[in-house]
Amino acid sequence: MHRWDFASVLANTDALLVGAIGTLHIFAICLVLGLGLGLVVGLGRYAQSRWLYWPATAFVEFFRNTPVLVQILWFYFALPILLPFSVSPLAAASLGISLNSAAFSAEIYRGGIQSIERGQWDGARALGMNWRQAMRRIILPQALKRMMPALTNRAIEIFKMSTLASAVAYVELLQQGKLIASLNFNPIEAYTAVAVIFFVFLWPLVQFTYVLERRLARDE
Amino acid sequence: MYKWDFTPVLANADLLAAGLVNTLKITGTSLACGLVLGLALALLRLSKHRWASWPAGFVIEVFRTTPPLVQLFWFFFALPLIVGIEMTPFMAAVVTFSIQSAAFFAEVFRAGIVSIERGQWDGARAIGMTHGQALRRIVLPQAVKRMIPAFMERTIELMKTTTLVATIAYADLLYAANEISQKTFRPLETFTVVALIYFVVITAFSLVARRLERRMAISGESTVH
Repeated sequence: MHRWDFASVLANTDALLVGAIGTLHIFAICLVLGLGLGLVVGLGRYAQSRWLYWPATAFVEFFRNTPVLVQILWFYFALPILLPFSVSPLAAASLGISLNSAAFSAEIYRGGIQSIERGQWDGARALGMNWRQAMRRIILPQALKRMMPALTNRAIEIFKMSTLASAVAYVELLQQGKLIASLNFNPIEAYTAVAVIFFVFLWPLVQFTYVLERRLARDE
Repeated sequence: MYKWDFTPVLANADLLAAGLVNTLKITGTSLACGLVLGLALALLRLSKHRWASWPAGFVIEVFRTTPPLVQLFWFFFALPLIVGIEMTPFMAAVVTFSIQSAAFFAEVFRAGIVSIERGQWDGARAIGMTHGQALRRIVLPQAVKRMIPAFMERTIELMKTTTLVATIAYADLLYAANEISQKTFRPLETFTVVALIYFVVITAFSLVARRLERRMAISGESTVH
């Protein structure tokens, strides 16, 4: 029977702390880039013009229908061949996760905007607003409320995806777990600790989405 | 300007084919185990007995809220030391992805079963069926129909998640890409080809899923997500 001993993990708290900062760092980048770019692509998917609609649709289909780890490795190993400079692990992983999340969140934005009744547009136009003003002041604020649970879910997915950055040796929590396990020969405790840390970060977020979902179901 | 050359990659088509077969093997095995285990978890979760519903709920929450790659590493590096059995990368991957998709499938099953009107249960009981018979013959067949789109979506997610096995050196399609790129010094062409293969396989699958979904919509069935 294995005797659990977390002392060797606790002795490496500083390494885990560095990993946690790395995880939060890449999470913040991908959250802002992914959800921000997703809005642009989502508006493109909603656009009347074919010149906006088709590129946005191709982008969404491509990034939704390929695995994010393949995208990360492509940006890390393949992209530098076409560029005059190398791509850092952080840049490759951020690109892969952000573009992937942009494709998924674009569909959330599109669905949210489409769910707003025609009358809201008509009312805004009747008040003399142009398309952009109507979108920003009337449609998006209402749509965002409906999209909140789905967007929070996306944020959770981004947090989980950040572990894939360890595949290109970016220093984040899982990568540090690997390091601790190989130095102290304690994979059981090291990986259990990493799993527990992720659970502690994500569990409140998951509960928060449940609250948002219930509140939305009640209000609608 | 870089000159693209796909011939070295295409010369290794056999490695790519073997990788794709292994990807499909892991996806299929995990899907089958995940569905069975997911139904079991859903039924436990719906149980009136707290000692059954709480542990099931705990397993579902843990596997939905921790990253798949952390789970895979745990099952590959930690579990064998605890239980004292050797784990091949294939076994670790199937165990991880089965339990992980079971956690997601369980919520789909649960939503589907809950969506069936009370009257269906009452009717089944009225003609003398036991709880198990009512579930198997009346409720599940109707519920499963509503769950098909959610199952399809999850299956696509599962296939994409299987790429993680490349990190524990199981020879799936992504691992084949690594190997070929190192052998031929053609990472750009190799990873582009492999991304395209994934794109084609997953797009084909999601087109089938969409067609099924449309047929469900025509036959007037509501769906759960």
